[in-house]
Amino acid sequence: MSYTNPTGTAINTTTTTGGTTGGAGAGAVGSTAEDRARFVEYTCGDCDASVSLKRGEPIRCRQCGHRVLYKQRTSRMVQFEAR
Amino acid sequence: MGAPSQEELEKRKRIQINAETVGNAASNDLPYHWPGENHEWNLDYFEKTFNVHFHTSTPYDSSFSLTGIDTSVANAFRRILLSEIPTLAIEDVFIYQNTSVIQDEVLAHRLGLIPLKASRRGLNWMKWYSKPTEDSEGSGAPSDYNCAILHLKAKCEWQEGGLQRAARGETDPDKLYVNHSIYARDLKWQAVGKQVEMFADGPIEAVNPDILIVKMRPGQEISLMMHAMKGIGQDHAKYSPVATASYRLLPTIDITKPILGADAKKFARCFPKGVIGLEAVTAEEAKKDPELSGKEGEIKAVVKDPMRDTVSRECLRHPEFKDKVKLGRVRDHFIFRVESTGQWESDDLFLESVRLLKVKCQRVRRGLDEMMK
Ligand SMILES: [Zn+2]
Repeated sequence: MSYTNPTGTAINTTTTTGGTTGGAGAGAVGSTAEDRARFVEYTCGDCDASVSLKRGEPIRCRQCGHRVLYKQRTSRMVQFEAR
Repeated sequence: MGAPSQEELEKRKRIQINAETVGNAASNDLPYHWPGENHEWNLDYFEKTFNVHFHTSTPYDSSFSLTGIDTSVANAFRRILLSEIPTLAIEDVFIYQNTSVIQDEVLAHRLGLIPLKASRRGLNWMKWYSKPTEDSEGSGAPSDYNCAILHLKAKCEWQEGGLQRAARGETDPDKLYVNHSIYARDLKWQAVGKQVEMFADGPIEAVNPDILIVKMRPGQEISLMMHAMKGIGQDHAKYSPVATASYRLLPTIDITKPILGADAKKFARCFPKGVIGLEAVTAEEAKKDPELSGKEGEIKAVVKDPMRDTVSRECLRHPEFKDKVKLGRVRDHFIFRVESTGQWESDDLFLESVRLLKVKCQRVRRGLDEMMK
């Protein structure tokens, strides 16, 4: 069960990102124009609602006001060997 | 020096099973083993003595006996069955989304172990795929003749009103969610190129549609693509065409002195059911055998079906039987059991192992011819 890089239309190797609790402001690394325009989907840690945030917005659920949000898993392809 | 008697020949190929030891285990029908006897391998002699006998034969489970063959050859068949007959199995998994509780690599491993079945014609038509390595470029990009594409896409959600039922205390997942259990039947094969034609009479699918792959809860999702390739068990156990392929030697039980009465019943209990039978001593036997004289009508232990014996040696633990019975095995009687995982039929598997051994022998012969040039 070894991990190999994604093939095909090779996007950069990505590892899963789960359980990132709201700490420093979203998108602390890198700040291009593209970054700023993009919404990122999060999941509320309390009510499980989906929350889309822009860079710089307060980390807070719009439904219940909970301040812990989870980042969702990437939908980029990851290749595995079935062994 | 005359030819050995039939009795002597039987004794030579009888393995002795004693209470703590095993005797006469090595083959001895070899040249120069017995003075004055020729044991050179001979095709005519082999043809005369070799025999195949089927006990049970269902598509995926068969049992048969090979008699009059050397251990080395019988074992070669077994090893080829386990690790050299090619089958199709999932090799690469491309995961787009997996939010289930099973980790990506574990999920990929599980998928790899699912036995697949398909049209025999299509499977024979498919070629090997070898991955590119540093030393070789492999067989190039996956193509329709060496790679089958399968998909698995599922998302678990609440049923209509499921949330309310859960709040009221309902716990049965069938009444709360949709897609909460993903089975092997949910693997969907996508035919590409010539596969459409070659697999017309049997699509690629799981042998056992009810294999549970993963359980999910609302919001969890799996979306992945798989490449199934042809490989052999030597590379990975998932490619092995058999769940088990094994043999055992035919057990023998020789009752050397009659076992009578209550002892006979106890003796029968030392073996699995059906191995030892109980019969009344006949008048004729009582007359012939001095040890049975006057015992007419008493029950006597007789060997009914030694093939069912597990050779537990239990009878040798009891002092009353110790000197009345000899346990053994026949060295050249192999009881095979071949259980297929479903891609091949069991009897075909054995024939394929014979074919492969033949191919290997021809390869050795070509090599030797090359050396002699
Ligand atoms: Zn919330």
